[in-house]
Amino acid sequence: MSEQIVIVGFGPVAARLVDELLPAVRAGHASLTVVGQETEAAYNRVLVADLGVGRTTADALVLSDAGALAADGVDVRLGTRVRRVDRARQQVLLSEGPPVPYDRLVFATGSRPVIPNLTGINPDPASPVLPAGVTALRDLRDADILRKAVDGGKRVVVLGGGVLGLETALAAAEEGATVTVVHNGPHPLGRSIDRGGGAVLAAGLRRCGVRMAGNARSTGVEHNAPDGGFSALLLDDGSAIDGDLLVISCGVRPRTELAEGCGLSTAAGILVDHRLRAHHEPHIFAIGDCAEVRCPDPGCAVCRTASGPSGLVGPGWRQAEWLAEYLALLAAGAVEEADLLPDLQAEQPGVIVLKARGLTLAVAGDNGADPWDEEALTAGAVNGRPRLQVAQWADPEHGRYVKMTTRGGVLEGLVAVGMPRTAAELVGLFERRAELPADRSLLLRLDGPDQLPGSAAADPAGTVCRCAGVSGTAIRGAVEDGCSTVTEVSKATRAGTGCGGCHEDIRGLIEQHFSPAVP
Amino acid sequence: MTSSADTHCPYCALQCAMTLTSPTGPAPAAQPGPVPVALSTAPGVPLDVQGREFPTNRGGLCRKGWTSASLLNHPGRINEPLLRGPDGIHRPIGWDQALDLAATAVRDARARYGADAVGVFGGGGLTNEKAYMLGKFARLALGTSRIDYNGRFCMSSAAAAGMRAFGVDRGLPFPVEALDSAATILMLGSNVAETMPPFVQHLKGARDAGGLVVVDPRRSATAAFTADGGGLHLQPLPGTDLALLLGISHVVIHENLVDTAYIEERTSGYGAVVRSVNAFWPERVQTITGVPAELIRETARRLAAGAREGGSYILTGRGVEQHVDGTDTATAAINLSLLLGLPGSAHSGYGTLTGQGNGQGGREHGQKADQLPGYRKITDPAARAHVAGVWGVPEELIPGPGLPAVQLLKSLGKDDGVRCLFVHASNIVVASPDATAVIEGLRSLDFLVVCDFFMSETAAEADLILPVLQWAEEDGTLTNLEGRVLRRRPALTPPPGARSELWIMARLAERLGAPSTYSEDPETVFNELRRASAGGLADYSGIDYAILDRGEAAHWPFPAGGTGTPRLFRDRFAHPDGKAVLTPVVPGRRRASSGALPAAGTAAEARPFTLITGRLLEHYQSGSQTRRVAELLAARPEARLQIHPAAAAAMDITDGAPVSVANERGEVVCRAELSTAIRAETVFLPFHFPELESANRLTEASTDPISGMPEFKSNKVWVRPVAVAPAGTVLQTMEAS
Repeated sequence: MSEQIVIVGFGPVAARLVDELLPAVRAGHASLTVVGQETEAAYNRVLVADLGVGRTTADALVLSDAGALAADGVDVRLGTRVRRVDRARQQVLLSEGPPVPYDRLVFATGSRPVIPNLTGINPDPASPVLPAGVTALRDLRDADILRKAVDGGKRVVVLGGGVLGLETALAAAEEGATVTVVHNGPHPLGRSIDRGGGAVLAAGLRRCGVRMAGNARSTGVEHNAPDGGFSALLLDDGSAIDGDLLVISCGVRPRTELAEGCGLSTAAGILVDHRLRAHHEPHIFAIGDCAEVRCPDPGCAVCRTASGPSGLVGPGWRQAEWLAEYLALLAAGAVEEADLLPDLQAEQPGVIVLKARGLTLAVAGDNGADPWDEEALTAGAVNGRPRLQVAQWADPEHGRYVKMTTRGGVLEGLVAVGMPRTAAELVGLFERRAELPADRSLLLRLDGPDQLPGSAAADPAGTVCRCAGVSGTAIRGAVEDGCSTVTEVSKATRAGTGCGGCHEDIRGLIEQHFSPAVP
Repeated sequence: MTSSADTHCPYCALQCAMTLTSPTGPAPAAQPGPVPVALSTAPGVPLDVQGREFPTNRGGLCRKGWTSASLLNHPGRINEPLLRGPDGIHRPIGWDQALDLAATAVRDARARYGADAVGVFGGGGLTNEKAYMLGKFARLALGTSRIDYNGRFCMSSAAAAGMRAFGVDRGLPFPVEALDSAATILMLGSNVAETMPPFVQHLKGARDAGGLVVVDPRRSATAAFTADGGGLHLQPLPGTDLALLLGISHVVIHENLVDTAYIEERTSGYGAVVRSVNAFWPERVQTITGVPAELIRETARRLAAGAREGGSYILTGRGVEQHVDGTDTATAAINLSLLLGLPGSAHSGYGTLTGQGNGQGGREHGQKADQLPGYRKITDPAARAHVAGVWGVPEELIPGPGLPAVQLLKSLGKDDGVRCLFVHASNIVVASPDATAVIEGLRSLDFLVVCDFFMSETAAEADLILPVLQWAEEDGTLTNLEGRVLRRRPALTPPPGARSELWIMARLAERLGAPSTYSEDPETVFNELRRASAGGLADYSGIDYAILDRGEAAHWPFPAGGTGTPRLFRDRFAHPDGKAVLTPVVPGRRRASSGALPAAGTAAEARPFTLITGRLLEHYQSGSQTRRVAELLAARPEARLQIHPAAAAAMDITDGAPVSVANERGEVVCRAELSTAIRAETVFLPFHFPELESANRLTEASTDPISGMPEFKSNKVWVRPVAVAPAGTVLQTMEAS
C-alpha cells in the first residue's frame, strides 16, 4: 500500500522535494502528486532577473521536466490552482478535476511580492493586478516585460533597495537600460548593512551607472505613457521619477492563505515545528518560503533562534532534502527510523552575496556595532561571554570596505564591498563559525596584488631548478668553473633538465657572471 | 666495453624516456670546457642515466629519475628469499624451500577456509605482462576472486567516471604533446610541477596565452605557474571541487557557451544536467567553495574561448578524485568538457593524469577485482568465454568479482576474509587509508608473502619475502598516461638471488597443479595478453615487441591488422550508440562526519583542521625507493606538516617545531612547515613517510560508492604543538651532505 503524498506548489523548493522523493516513488512506496499554479514546471526563480536582462535563457532555468516526472509515475498538475484543503477528509480540492486524497500534504507555496500601497495600484494584497509598465519580477512573464524594456534601452525605475532590487538594477544598467533605484533610508540594503558599507555600496552602484534616489518615500504611480502604462513614480516630496517600467522589489510575503483557510496556525508563515510538521497536524508539512519554523513549545531549544522565513532558497532546499528523507522513511513503513532521523540543523542567519558583474558585496549577520561603540560592544557580554570586537577597513575612494564583527574570534557579522576574495573567505568563515586569524589584516590582503601567486623570491641561494633541485649557488659555481651556456650548466649541474622552465633564469645567471660589474 | 639500453624511468606514469649506460668503458677523452661531473654515477652506482628525446619528456628528467640508478646496488637490496623465524627475524632460505612454503600456505588456507581465503594485492608499478599474469595466476592457480591492487587508491574514480561517460577509460585520450598548443588548460587537483615535472613543458603554450587555470586548495608549485599573467588559481575549500565544477558548468549553460551542435549529435542526457547545475549559480558556489564568483565566470569563459580557438583541455588529478564523491567529481569535470564539446574534437579534450608508472596498463588487464584482460568486465559472459578460451580452461573455472582494495584489506584475518595474502609492487602499510588498521590486518593473517626488492614497511610484516627484479634488470612493457605502450629494457644482469614475478608465478602454479600455462618469458606473456585483450576495450592485439622496438607510437586500441589510436573518440564514443553520456551529479547532502570529534584524550589546546595528503617532488609513492636515495632523502628527510602562519601563531607553533596531528584513528608527530601557500583551516602532510610520520594513520577508509576509492584529501584532524619529540620517535635531522 503506497502512501499518497501531495505537494502544493511547484517552485524550486518543491522541485527538490520531488527529485528527492523519486526513489520512493520508483520503489512503489509513495505515489506523488504535485500541483503548480504556473503553466511551467519548476524553474530557477533566483535567476529571473538574469533572464529579464537577457543574460540567460528560459531553457537554462528549467529545474524540473514534467514529462520525465510523469514517466516516473509522478502526477504533475500544471496550471492548476488548489481551491481548498479539506483536512477532515484528507483531500485537496483543485480548480479542476476531482479532489485528490492525501496521506501527507506538503505546502511549498512559496511567497509573493509585497506590493506597497501606492495610488494607481490595486491594493488587494492577495491578487494584485499590476497596471501596464509595472512588474514585481517574480515569474517568467515578468522577465519578458523587463527584457523588452532593457532591449529597448528604456528607463527602468526600481522601487526598493533590497538585494534583489539592486541585482536587477545593476544587471539592467549593464545591459543598457537607464536605471534609477528608489529606496528608503540613507543607503540601500537597509539594516542589513552598516553606514560605512552602505555608503561605499551606494557609491559603487553609481559608478556602475545606476542612479540612486535615497531617503525617498513613494506615494503613487502615474500612467501617462502613450499606451496608458506607467510613466513616473511619485514621491512624497512632490517630485516624480520618470520612467518606462517600474520594477517593484519590496520584499516577499509567505503565501499562507490556503493554510489559513484550512485552519492551520500561521504567523509570518505557516507555523511548523523543527521537523517541519504543521502545528497539531501530523499529516501536513510546510517547507521553503511559506514555512516558519517555530515549535508550539516556546521552550524548544532548537527553535530558540528561529527567525521566520528567510526568503532565501538555500534553507528551503535543505528542508526539502530533509523532509524527503523523512517522508520516504514513513512511506517505507520505517516509522522508528523516521523518528530517529537527526533534526534538521538550525539555519545560520542568511548571507547576502550580491549577484552582479561590476560590484562585489557580501553581507551577513549583525553589523550594527562600531569599533568605538562601547555600549554596543559590551551588550550581551555577561556570564563570561566575550564582548564583541569590530575590525574595519574603509577605502571609499577605491570602493573598498570591510567590517568584521566577532565574538570570541568568530564572526557575528560581516560586510565586504569591492573585495571579492576577502568576501568569499569571510562568508566561508561565517558559515563554518570558524575562528578568524588574530591578525585580521591577513583577510584584507587576500585581495592585494602581493597575494597573487608570484614568481620565486630573488633569493640568490634559492632553488632555481625545482625539478632537479639545483640552487642558484650551485649554478653560479658551475659558471665560475667555466660553463658558459645553458647546455653546459645543465650538463654540469642537471639544472634545467626537467621541465626546462628555468632556462631563462640560468641564462640570466650566466650573463650576470660575464657582464662587467656595475660600480 | 659499454652496454646501454633505451628504456623508461621506473617511477611515474609520464614514463620519461631514458638511456642507461654502463660506465665501465674507457674514460672519455679530455675535452675543452667544463669537466663533466659524474652526477648519477656516484661511486658504486652501476649505471649512468641520461634523459632521452621522447614526446612526453623531451629529454628531461626530474630529480627522481636522475638518481634512480643508485638503487640498483643499494646495500639494502634483498637478494635472497627471507623467512621470518619464530623470533621475528627474517633469515635467508633457498628458493625451493620458499616456493614450497608459499604453496603450502595457499593449500592450507584453501583447505581450511575455502579458495577466497587466499588474496592477492597488486600494484600499478608492475609491467603489463606481470599485471596480466597476476590476474590469471590469482584466478586460475589460486582459484580466488580476491585480487585487487593499489590503483584502487589512485585511478579508480576517474576510471569509473570515464567508463560511465565515454564507455572506455584511457587516462589521456590524446597524446600529451597535443596540450602544447592549447589556449586554455584547466587542471583540477593535480600538482604536476612536483609529481611529474617534465610534464610542465606541455603547459607552456597555455601559460603564454594566459590560459592555465589551476584548481588547488594549496598554492602548489603548479598553481604558482598561473602568476604573472599565466592564468588563474582557484583555491576552493577541500572537498568542494564538485560544487565548483557545477558552478563553472552553470555559467557555460547560462551564458550560452554550450556547443549545442555537439551536444545534439554526440551526447545524451543534456537536459538532466541543465536541471542539475541550475542550483549552482556562481555566487552560491562562492559561498560553498570560497572561490570568488567572478573567477568562476572567468574560468568558464576562458574554456569556451579556447574551445573555439586554439583548444581547451580539462585535466583531473587525485586532488579531486580521492574523495568519497570522487567519481561524481570526475563526472562533473567530464560533463563540463562535454558541454563545451571538448572530448573527441581535434584540438581539445578531457583527461585524467594517471599517477603510477604503469597505472594505465595496470588497470586494464585483470588486476582489478571486477575485471578480465582487455578492460573486460568479469561479469560479462562473452568476456568470460573469450578469456577462458585464451586460457584454455572451462569458463566456470574463472571466479566472479572480488572485493575492491579497501574492502579486501578490511577483510584481512576476518571470518570469511583473506587469511593468506600475496603482495606485489605495493607498500600497503604506508599507502593505505587507516594504515594502523591495515597493519593489524596483516598481523592477523595466517601467512603473508611480499615480493619486493627492499625491506619495505610491508615486507617487514611478511612471513616470507621473495626478492624480485628492479626496472633496469627486466624486459617488458608499460602503458603510459596517454595509453601508449612502451618497452622497458634491461641494462644490467640482475643479482643472482633475485627473480622475476613471472618466474615466481610459474613455479608456484606448477607446485599448485594449476590449469593453463604460465610463461616466465615476458614476450611470450605479452603475446598471450594480446590474444586475451583482442576485441576488448583496451585491445593490444596488433602490438608486438617488434613494433615497439622500431619506436612506433602504439596507443591502444590497436587491433590486429589495424593501427594505433593516438586520439580517441574522433568519430564516436565507446557506448553502443556512439554517444557520450552526461550524468547529472550533485554534492552529497551530508558528508561523512566521522572524525568531527576529537579522539578521547585530545589535549585541550588542540585545534581542528582539514587534512590534505599528497606528494613531494623528491619522493615517489610510499617512499620505499626514494627514501633510500641519499640525495633525495637529504633534500626531504622527513614529513613536515604544512600549516598557515596565522593558524600556527594561534598555537605558538613556529617553523620547524614538533607538532602532533591526531584523530580517532591515530597520531602523526612531525615538524611544522609554515607556509602561506595553504589555507588557514587546512593542513597538508606528504604520505611518503612511515611510522610516526605516516599520513595514512589519519585517513579514513571510507570509500566512493561507485569506484571504491578512499577519501584521502579531506579528513578532520586535531593539531597541537608538542614540547619535544616524544621518546622513540623518528624525527630525523637533516645532515648536510
